Amino acid sequence: MLSRLVFVSGRALKGSGPIGAGLVHASRSLHTSSQSQAPVPALPEKGGKVRHGIIPEELFQLLYPKTGVTGPYMLGTGLLLYMLSKEIYVVNHETFAAASIITVIIYSIKKFGPSVAAFADKLNEDKVAKAQEVKDLAMTSLAQAIEDEKKEQWRVEGRSMLFDAKRNNVAMLLETNYRERLHMVTNEVKRRLDYQIALQNLHRQMEQDHMVNWVEKSVISSITPQQEKESIAKCITDLKALAKTTQAKAAV
Amino acid sequence: MAGRRVALKAVDWVAFAERVPPNQRGMFNALKTRSDAIAAKLNSLPETPAAIDWSYYRSAVAKAGMVDEFEKKFKALQIPEPVDTQTSAITAQEAEANKSASAYIEGSKARITQYEKELDKFKNMIPFDQMTIEDLNDTFPETKLDKVKHPYWPHKPIADL
Repeated sequence: MLSRLVFVSGRALKGSGPIGAGLVHASRSLHTSSQSQAPVPALPEKGGKVRHGIIPEELFQLLYPKTGVTGPYMLGTGLLLYMLSKEIYVVNHETFAAASIITVIIYSIKKFGPSVAAFADKLNEDKVAKAQEVKDLAMTSLAQAIEDEKKEQWRVEGRSMLFDAKRNNVAMLLETNYRERLHMVTNEVKRRLDYQIALQNLHRQMEQDHMVNWVEKSVISSITPQQEKESIAKCITDLKALAKTTQAKAAV
Repeated sequence: MAGRRVALKAVDWVAFAERVPPNQRGMFNALKTRSDAIAAKLNSLPETPAAIDWSYYRSAVAKAGMVDEFEKKFKALQIPEPVDTQTSAITAQEAEANKSASAYIEGSKARITQYEKELDKFKNMIPFDQMTIEDLNDTFPETKLDKVKHPYWPHKPIADL
């Protein structure tokens, strides 16, 4: 039991290095062997096994080959009776006080032990969980960052498309301009030819109109008053004859 | 007069749109609308202009030789193609972009290796419930308590607790 205490304390001291300003000398004397770089074995989950809360299991294992299962109990009982009978341990007021205190202690440990242990474990669990959360978050964000970087690289690869589009635009503009020029030339030539034709047509039209007017004027001026009278009389006789024939037709 | 058929490289706008980062989407949309407008204008013009019916004009126009003269000059006419001033500028831009892109990719790769290193550190870490304070200080150097600067517990300024 004491050996275990020494082992634990020695390891703790060795692990923590210079503890404080005043304890430097004590710790340095423990570094006797050359340090090994082997990884520290995992910490034990539970403490050493004990029977009845105090007596370490190693004692029972030690005595088992010689005295069997009941050996340590007999040893304990014998020692107790020896000390009582020989009055190496004297029964007095203190005995009763000790008995009461031990009873209360054992009762309270049995009653509240597990809940206090759970509380302490929960404190530790919370710390570990928080650390774990930080670690998980860090890992996911790193993975995400790597993904994003890869995506950005993929995006950069598409840069040639931008310049293709620009060159296309330039080519299209040039082609458009060229076609516009072609069309403009053709249209201008056509317009000039059409103008010539329209001019010709206008000439002819004007000549025709003028001639017709001139002919009409001369004809009208050549009609003498005598001819006019004769033609009016003839018209009247013609009309009378026509009236007769239509009356006859209407009567029939 | 020969029409000119220029070789246009087909631009896959869908794939292009995928590669545009969100903060440059506005510029991309502007480029697309401009390109579409230019293409529409190009397609609205026929490739060759309507042919002139010379025989009709020859019979219709009275002035002798005018039509023949026009026809001869028209056929002999060569329309100069517009000069391309921008393509060299674009190629220069492209070279510039290539250079900056490769520099960016280099930086990106460096960042990726750094991230992967940290990721490996996290992956190969021992679980927290098997760590001692020493192991914690090795893995996360920022948790190490400076016992020289603050020799008395809690080894850090009270405000940092």
